[in-house]
Amino acid sequence: MAHYSTRNKKNLKYIILFIMPVTVLLLAFYVYPIFSILVLSFTKWNGIEPLSFIGIKNFIEVFTDTVFRTSIKNNLIWAFSAAMLQIPLATLIALILAREVKGWKTFRTLFFLPNVISLVALAMLWKAMYNPEFGVLNSFLTIIGLESLARNWLGELATALPAVIISYQIYIGYFMVIILAGAMSIPSSLYEASKIDGANVWQQERFITIPSIRGVLVTAGTLAVAYALRQFETTFLLTAGGPANRTPVLGLYMYRQMAGFHYGVAATTGILMIVLGILVTTGLQRVFGKSDAASDSFQ
Amino acid sequence: MKKNKNLNYISPLGYVAKISKWVVLLTYTLIATFPLLWLTISSFKTNFEIETSPFSLPQKWMVENFVSALSVSGLSRYFLNSIIVAVVATILNLFVTSLASFAVARERFPLRGVFFTFSTAGVLIPIIAFMVPYYTVITRLGLYDSLIGLIVTYSAINIPISMFIVSSFMTSIPKELEDSAEIDGCSFWQRYSKIVFPLAKPGIVTAGTFSFIYCWNEFIYALLLTSSRSARTVQLAIRFFTSQFRTDYAGLYAAIVLTMLPTVAVYMFMHDKIISGMTAGAVKG
Repeated sequence: MAHYSTRNKKNLKYIILFIMPVTVLLLAFYVYPIFSILVLSFTKWNGIEPLSFIGIKNFIEVFTDTVFRTSIKNNLIWAFSAAMLQIPLATLIALILAREVKGWKTFRTLFFLPNVISLVALAMLWKAMYNPEFGVLNSFLTIIGLESLARNWLGELATALPAVIISYQIYIGYFMVIILAGAMSIPSSLYEASKIDGANVWQQERFITIPSIRGVLVTAGTLAVAYALRQFETTFLLTAGGPANRTPVLGLYMYRQMAGFHYGVAATTGILMIVLGILVTTGLQRVFGKSDAASDSFQ
Repeated sequence: MKKNKNLNYISPLGYVAKISKWVVLLTYTLIATFPLLWLTISSFKTNFEIETSPFSLPQKWMVENFVSALSVSGLSRYFLNSIIVAVVATILNLFVTSLASFAVARERFPLRGVFFTFSTAGVLIPIIAFMVPYYTVITRLGLYDSLIGLIVTYSAINIPISMFIVSSFMTSIPKELEDSAEIDGCSFWQRYSKIVFPLAKPGIVTAGTFSFIYCWNEFIYALLLTSSRSARTVQLAIRFFTSQFRTDYAGLYAAIVLTMLPTVAVYMFMHDKIISGMTAGAVKG
């Protein structure tokens, strides 16, 4: 093994050279930003004047701001819809496709397609479809005789937030693909054995598939909730937080603070967004068990 | 294999299950594809048709809409910006992550595990929380409103995911090839460039595809770090189209379709790779 250690010593300078660019970029774009928003969250700063430390005033400010509280509430509604709508629906579709129904690969490809299209393009598309005057949704309701239901979907208090959240459901294919891969990796011998024992399809799903993909479901659920907590584009483009500040999310709140040169408050929002994400996702894993996290599979 | 082929008797419940299965699949197909299909078809219509018969096929397929979309909005400039940013950021990202992945996957060195965790942990962080520091860093470097600013930012943001994909691919390459090459006098750099990098190409292509799609679609930091035509990307352009086109919906739809084409084209050729790359990260095989 002496050979290896001298070889390694010789290589160490190359190794350092090889990991240097990534390290520098990560320090600048991941490590520094975390410390930066941590420090800035205790300061008042408009980007020009020197910053002044004001203790926890920013935290008090945001928690007493009704718009901030609405934003957190909306993020939690987003997260709830992710867990209660996206994951069950994605699971249902994945379990159907996992039985290799006719054309399952085509369905998989189609369902995932919206995920390669930008949030902006889809938001503009939905905005056109929700348009109160000549949007497709209202036209469709008129055609099927439900004209009374036609409304200004994004402009009315009652429908604005649901309309924004529903527009996002087109991205379910992402979670479906993850769950499908989990379900298809279950050894088929389990199903064959259960069939000999007289199990029907429902029993197979209930007692074989679901328990086997538990970890994958937790992964997908955690991802879905994590994405729900970092929402920005869909809300920004569809309602910009309106009507009457009913639909903002933390990302939008932070953007508005930045646009108003309240960098300290924006940083505070960023910190709280990260903390909320950690709390909610670890809470989820506490309740539902460990996920098959991405980094587990290395080494 | 999981099909229930040899059931001679199908119970009434079985029929219900079979029918509801297809109802679910076809309904979701409609949800996932209708908006895009409608958009694409509408982009070939006249404005009058869009308003009066939103669900019909166009009387005449108006290719002119695309021509006017390109000329009215100056879309071609934004397209060029997006292509430069996405391609260069992806190349830069792949270059630095393949170097680091080579070190992590093929060499032993102190704190190697720590470095790997450090380089991939970023996937867990909501990048949007870094609005303030990204803005201040880019501004201080004098890169505000420049393509280079976006390129550096995007290539850095994508490091964790690329490190994960490329290093796990490089780990799976057999050691023997490299060993014999070393005996033949291959240098450290040559082992990377002549042996491991070429063999890791499938993983690098997958990582590059993810990076390209991310860069092409990114909106928040494009919004925050640019202010003029010279650096703005197509995603920002779409947003401003709404005011530019005012009542020209056909032009707006055509413009949106054009901005979707690159990622949809990549997806058409690479969907299996994209889907398997996506699931490899999240599901333990």
